[in-house]
Amino acid sequence: MFDETHVSDLLPAYALGSLDADEASHVEEHLLSCWICRNESNAFQTVAEQLSLATPAASPSPDLKDRLLQRVQTARPQQPVLAQAARRSWPERLLPVWGLASLGLIIALAAFNLSLWQRLNQLEFVTAPGGMRAIPLSATDDVSGATGFVLVAADGRNGALVVDGLPPLDADRQYQLWLIRDGQRTSGAVFSTDEESYGGMRIKVAGSLLEYSAVGITIEPAGGSPQPTGVKVLGGPLFNP
Amino acid sequence: MTSSADYARYDDERLISLIAQLQAGALDQLYDRYHRPIFSLALMIVGDRATAEEITLDVFMRVWQKAGSYRADQARVSTWLTHIARHHAIDVLRRRAVRLDQSALSWDEITPGAPLPAQNPGELAEQSLRRERIHAAIARLPADQKQALMLAYFGGYTQTQIAEALKQPLGTIKTRLRLAMQKLRDFLHDEQEPGDKSAQAVNTYNMSEED
Repeated sequence: MFDETHVSDLLPAYALGSLDADEASHVEEHLLSCWICRNESNAFQTVAEQLSLATPAASPSPDLKDRLLQRVQTARPQQPVLAQAARRSWPERLLPVWGLASLGLIIALAAFNLSLWQRLNQLEFVTAPGGMRAIPLSATDDVSGATGFVLVAADGRNGALVVDGLPPLDADRQYQLWLIRDGQRTSGAVFSTDEESYGGMRIKVAGSLLEYSAVGITIEPAGGSPQPTGVKVLGGPLFNP
Repeated sequence: MTSSADYARYDDERLISLIAQLQAGALDQLYDRYHRPIFSLALMIVGDRATAEEITLDVFMRVWQKAGSYRADQARVSTWLTHIARHHAIDVLRRRAVRLDQSALSWDEITPGAPLPAQNPGELAEQSLRRERIHAAIARLPADQKQALMLAYFGGYTQTQIAEALKQPLGTIKTRLRLAMQKLRDFLHDEQEPGDKSAQAVNTYNMSEED
């Protein structure tokens, strides 16, 4: 459907969020590998950002702040961010996902030290001793604050997805992971997130995950779609097969 | 104990880090700084005050619950808040499944907007300048390009939806949006002072998102 030339003509509408889903996916995939278009895209994103300044002056009701602070008081208590890490570590959060059959990989993951987490937060591609890799995903504008990682075993035959900050969807919709190779998208998992906006699952795919160049997560009808149809929420490059 | 006067002295990033530690006084201060532009943007998109107020509350509640995920190296706080507000408001609009009303939005009705928060006179002057620039740039666009731009940015509509609503060929709408954005980019680039921090911040944000 698309050729492999630059996507300059699509970038203005991409910055406005007005492309159809398949066009937007094509642009995102192209931007991963083309710095020329990425620079041009950044320029249009800057323009789009400034459009928000062109709104008429308006003020909400004076009591809105009181309503906010009241809502904060009655909201489910949150854990401060520093305490949150201690509350449930990533290996602990991964355990239900993988199950006993994957315990070896989890132990390998747990063997990472503190620097691993620091490096992950810096969005580096991390390879553990033994060859297991953790690849960070980037959130789109629709879910700023969401994070995710694809974990791939050394031989590429086993993998898992872990996401945080993706809000739970209504009963009619689920998240779907897409594995991308040569412009073709293959479903790798259909999943939901819990009330803490957290989710994790094993990636099921024929062959090796090392054969895929990128991943994306979209919102789809419950049960998943044959091809992506909904809004993309997370994505990122995988390997160079 | 931190007083409201202390919070007022902190910059935005410091407030976010304190909100992540569940200090409601920091959220109170951030609300004072940003509730008007957020409400204005939400109102522009959804069109009624009650819903815009709910969106404003949701934005600040999200900040309260997700402040720990904010990354200063990716975007300024104002940029982060604007992203959350715009996408949440457009999501509300989509859930309503209302038919696209091309007459509901018009650049011509827009007057220079609500003053953004500023921590010092220099910043206030810079913000005023940026607002004047974008208004001047939009004013130069032909009416049909302004209309398409308005529906795309504030309406959250795709090019296909805009073409159907305006009963125009899809290619025509694509051309209008492309030309409008190119003209705005060129105009704002020409007007932009060297070393404009705001543009740099947004560029950094987008680079980080895509890398």
